Amino acid sequence: METGIQRVFLKRCLQPLLLACMFLPGLAAAQDQDDDELGKIITPDLERRQIKESMLDSENFELGAFYGVLNVEDFGSNPVVGFHFSYHVTESFFLEAAYGESETEKTSYELLSGGVELLTEEERQLRYYNLSIGYAFLPGQVYIGKRWAFNTRIYLIGGAGNTEFADKEYFTYNLGAGLRFYATDWIAFDLSMRNHAFTHELFGESKNTNNLEARFGLSLYF
Amino acid sequence: MTCLRALFAVVCLWLLAAAAPLWAEPLQVSVAAPYLDVHSGPGRGYPVFHVVERDEVITLLKSRADWIKIRTYRGITGWIGREDLALTLGPDGQPPLFLDPRHEDYLVNRVELGFAMGDFGGADSLQANLGYRFTRHLSAELRLAHNTGQFSDSEIIAAALVHQPFPEWRVSPFFALAAGQIKTYPSATLVETEDRQDNLAQASLGAYVHLSGRFFLRVEYVNHYLFTSRDSNEEVNEWKLGFNAFF
Repeated sequence: METGIQRVFLKRCLQPLLLACMFLPGLAAAQDQDDDELGKIITPDLERRQIKESMLDSENFELGAFYGVLNVEDFGSNPVVGFHFSYHVTESFFLEAAYGESETEKTSYELLSGGVELLTEEERQLRYYNLSIGYAFLPGQVYIGKRWAFNTRIYLIGGAGNTEFADKEYFTYNLGAGLRFYATDWIAFDLSMRNHAFTHELFGESKNTNNLEARFGLSLYF
Repeated sequence: MTCLRALFAVVCLWLLAAAAPLWAEPLQVSVAAPYLDVHSGPGRGYPVFHVVERDEVITLLKSRADWIKIRTYRGITGWIGREDLALTLGPDGQPPLFLDPRHEDYLVNRVELGFAMGDFGGADSLQANLGYRFTRHLSAELRLAHNTGQFSDSEIIAAALVHQPFPEWRVSPFFALAAGQIKTYPSATLVETEDRQDNLAQASLGAYVHLSGRFFLRVEYVNHYLFTSRDSNEEVNEWKLGFNAFF
């Protein structure tokens, strides 16, 4: 009888308990696994990010240096050196700030007259800066040999600035054109001409001068 | 010349601060149009030398003005138009978020750089300005000007607050109030005078005219009020025309 009760007790109460003890962890594990599988389907490991403009590196700025010849009316043709900084607003338009320096030489009058000096050494220094707007057009390619093709661009540029010469500043208009040769996307060679026009009264009368500059430059885009 | 140097310093510092972040992961999109033209250079006139087809994955490398440099999975590099990005899908199944330059949001949190030339009470004037637009309507601006006249030269540095009531209009009016300093250098050959430094206030009225993309023409009429150390204050009127760009 007692064994009968024990058996019933075992069967009715312990057996499910034992079974539960044996299988629950497994069940729990199985359930976890299901969640993982489901989770993987719903939220994959890959981070789904939206691409924004700020993630992409932009190369709209340009820094360049140039060297050339500047002809200052009455004061000879002399080397000029300078740098410029540009911002490319659209594929065609750019804004440029430039600075240049040159040292002018004696006028013919000073040379012929012997001892007359119109300007001091310091006053012979010519420095200019200008702010200009450029328009690039006529895109093209240059082919070197069979394998190489380089992009080129022709541009027109114009603006205004100031020229410091003979201890005075002169408001100066500039106008020019150039050819840009892109060695890579971010290195460009530049061959260009500028005219710096200003009015001075160094010889007593007001005189409009056109000062031509031919130059070669190198630019980096960043 | 000091104005110019100050401007260069400001621009250089700003550039260092805004250096583009380097993203380790490549930016890849898949083409969602039948095909996209790939140009040899960043411009309409450069020849189309390749096309990328639907579902092809391309890597975005960099942008220059209205063009994006890409690399195909075969390693070919070229340029696609900025507007073509609307025909591609990013990893999230959405086209990349490249704002339309005329989008109103584009006007907020933007740096504005521009220059102008004009007539400052008979003298030729040249001005550079650097602004920051902190709401759609308001921006703060630093102005540097160099005026070259027959009798004297002057330099102005001023801080301005610019209000633009209708920024979305193609021709959008604005008014501004500014305060600053003017340094005057009279021509030594004319009269025996000393260089002067005076405070000044400016009130201006003008308009932005949208040209293309982020590019604007700006016309402005400025009334300068100089608080001189002499018996009477001085008033100078200036008009100017210039170009401004947002970035």
